[in-house]
Order: sequence, then structure tokens, then C-alpha cells
Amino acid sequence: MKDLFWGMAGADWALLGGGIAAILGGIGSAIGITAASSAIAGIVSEDGEKFGKLLPLAAMPGTQGIYGFIAAVLVLIFFNLLSGEINIPAAIGFKIFLACMPVSFLCLVSAIYQGLTAAAAAGIVARRSEDSGKALIFPALVETYAVLALIVTILMLTVLQTALTKM
Amino acid sequence: MRVPLFKTVYDAVYYGFAVGKVRVLETRIFGGGTYERLVDAPTFAEQKRILSDTVYGRYLENAENADDVEVGLETALDDFYRFLAEANLPEPVVRFFRVRYDYANLRAVLKARALGAPIEGMIVGLGIVPVTAFEGPVERLPEYLAQVAASLLDEDGRIAEVDAIDAAVEQAAFADLVETARSSKSRALKDLARLMVDVANARAAIRARRKNRPASDLAEGLLKGGTLRIREVEKIYTLPFAEFVDALAAMPTLRGVDADALADPSALDVVLDNMISHFLRQARAVQFGPEPVIAYVMAREAEVTAVRTLLIGRLAGLDRDALRSRLRELYV
Repeated sequence: MKDLFWGMAGADWALLGGGIAAILGGIGSAIGITAASSAIAGIVSEDGEKFGKLLPLAAMPGTQGIYGFIAAVLVLIFFNLLSGEINIPAAIGFKIFLACMPVSFLCLVSAIYQGLTAAAAAGIVARRSEDSGKALIFPALVETYAVLALIVTILMLTVLQTALTKM
Repeated sequence: MRVPLFKTVYDAVYYGFAVGKVRVLETRIFGGGTYERLVDAPTFAEQKRILSDTVYGRYLENAENADDVEVGLETALDDFYRFLAEANLPEPVVRFFRVRYDYANLRAVLKARALGAPIEGMIVGLGIVPVTAFEGPVERLPEYLAQVAASLLDEDGRIAEVDAIDAAVEQAAFADLVETARSSKSRALKDLARLMVDVANARAAIRARRKNRPASDLAEGLLKGGTLRIREVEKIYTLPFAEFVDALAAMPTLRGVDADALADPSALDVVLDNMISHFLRQARAVQFGPEPVIAYVMAREAEVTAVRTLLIGRLAGLDRDALRSRLRELYV
């Protein structure tokens, strides 16, 4: 009899979790970068010399997409999904799916808010170029929570990998 | 269901480019120091030299007299309004700023017609309707202007009451502004339109009360679309002047405004204009949306008014004290 949890096999749950992490992180980053870049493009159109100081602000929301990607790759590596020899019990698969949720949703939301914060912080650079360092701090604070979510997801995946090895 | 984050993201993306530009451009708005230098400049040539390094330099480099200054500053203002359209702001927002000049032109045309005077030099090219349209019959103007003109013309096509022109045009202009703001779906613009109506009504009510004009005249003159309740103003209108002003200042719309300043004829305009300045300061602080762009353009309007006052005042031979007294808190 096939091992299923809510109608899906363990590998299906694991792939769904990793996929959602990559998708939501990517969506959040795309929106965040667009929001920040719109304001930054307006500033650069009037003062091209500020481009270098503003670029990090536009790039910052991109990290959440990377975190989602890291989570997805870890799922593939930790549970040997790349080898094709898939042997994940459905219950463990569902737990892998749950383990991916912190990074998925935190990255989606924090990337959008980080983009908004970066757009607002760009206004500081528009007024005073020398304050570009201070302007970076505000969106960096938002980043903290995406990093914490990634750490939580990695720890949970590590625990599940250990549990799977012992089975 | 309206999710605030969605609206914020929409505003950040839709208006982001314009707001980014404004964040740089607003650093170039004149501060008190520039006005002081313009006041202290001993000659018009020195004022032009001070302005040569600013956005007004290219508009005024060949200006020699008051007419040149008017033309140069009108062109500068036209470019600021053009920025509204380039900034991807909705069409009603652009109309909000430009349509006022159509009504000002209409007023000039109607008065010139009533008095049999030429209209040369009285029409400004900042409105929506081309200047040439005002040179023809008023009946051929766009409907929103032709209707106002028709309400003032008698059966022979003459203007029956010259004194009624200002009131009729002002009523129509403010009604149009309120409606345009409503159609823009911009909360900031709607608030601004309401505030402009309130300021106009407060000014009209105080002036009418000071002159002891009958309450029936006041009711006809007050504009609709503001937050100042016309019936409540009518109720307090019979109070002695000082008590009337105190009661008006206690109304929610004017809360925070100094009643003594409202009662002082020399301070009335300043204190009411400061209400709009205060609104614009708040609008500038908004991070995402049309508010910073609207505040920027209005700040430029105020700046053009101040620069015009200083340049033409100096050309007319006014001294420093006279120029300084004519400067208000025009910039935000």
C-alpha cells in the first residue's frame, strides 16, 4: 500500500515545501526590488551621481529570493531528492513541507516591506549623499527577520534529516 | 476588502519614480536664505544674478522689465505643471492644478467685456484651454466655462452685473476643483480641495462679518464642498465680531488656529494660508503616493509667487522692508 499523507507522498510534500519557499521568496524579492527601484530610478534621473550609493538599497530585497532558493536546494540535498532514490515517509515529507513555511512567508512579506523601507531610505540619500550609510541601516533591520526565518527552516530541515537517517 | 499593504505597494510602484524625482527636486526649493538674499539685493540685476544658478535662471536671463518677468515665471510654472503629467499622475490631478487658470482667464475676459477693455496681457497660458480660445466669443469656450458666462449674460448678451462676476466664477471654480479632486480618487487631493474651500469660506465669512454684511449675502457667497458647516456659520453670524471669530476658531475645521489672528485684518490671510502650508508639510512627509508630488508642485507655485513679488517689487522701486512685509510663509 502506498504511503500517503492527505493524498500526497512524502517526496511530493517535500518538493511542494521547497517549491513554495523558492516561489514566495522570489515573488517577495521581485515586488520589493520593483518598489525600491521605482523611487531610486526617479532619484537617479535627476542626480546620476547617486547611483552607486542607491544600488545597495535596490539590491537588498533580493536576498529573500536567495533565502527561498537556499531552502529549496537544502530540501533537495538533505533528503537525497537529486539522486532519484526517493524514500521519504509521507509524515516526514509533510514535516519537511512545514519546515519550509517560515522562510516562505517571512521572505515574501519581509522582502516587500524591505523594498518599501529601501524606497523611503532612498529619500535620505536624495537629500544628503553623505548619509547613505545611515540609509542602509533601516532596510537592513528588516532583513534580520528573513535571516532568522532561514535559520529556523535550516534547523528544522536538519532535525528532519537526522530523524530520517535513524529510521 | 482593502489590504493596506497592497495599496502601499501599488502607490510605491505607481508613484515611485515621480516621488524619487521630487525627493531630489525639493532640495532645490528656496529656503529662507535665498529669499533674504533676494530681498537684500540692491538691484534687479543683482536679483537676476542670484537666480542665475537656480531653476529660474534660464527663464529670466533676458528679463528686463515686469512683463518679461511675468512671461519667464509663467513658462517656469508651465514646466512645473508639465512635470505632473510626466510624473504619471492621473489626468484629474493635472486638471486640478491647471483648470484654476481657465477660470481666472474667464474672469478676466468677462470683466474686459463688461468694461469694454482689451484683453491683451490679461490671459495666462497655464490653463487647459488655449489662450486663443479666450480671444473669441465666450459662448464658444468649453461647456464648463461657457455655462458660467451664460449665467452672467442677459438676453442681449451683455453682462448685467459686473460685481457678480467674481462670485459666480469663484463658485464655479471651487465646485470644479472639488469635483475634479473627487474624480481623481486621490485622498490627498480631496483633502486639499476641501481645505481650500474651508479657507475661502472662513476668509469670506470673517470679511463679511467685519463689514456687517447681512447674513443672506454670506449664505449666497459661501462655497460648497468643504468641512466648515455653512449652517453653523450662519448661526453664529449674528454674534458680535469678536465672539463670532472665537466661535469660528472653535469649529473643528479651524481648530488650532489663533482666534486673535483671525480677527486681525493684517494677519488673516497669513494665518489661513498657513493652514494650507501645514497641510503641504504633512503631504511631503508621506512616503508613497501622489502627496509628495502635489506638495512639491504647490511649493513651486508658492515659490513663483514669492519670486514674482520680489522681482516686480524691486523693479517698482520698493525698499527692503516693503518687500519683506509682502513675503509670507509661502514656501513649505
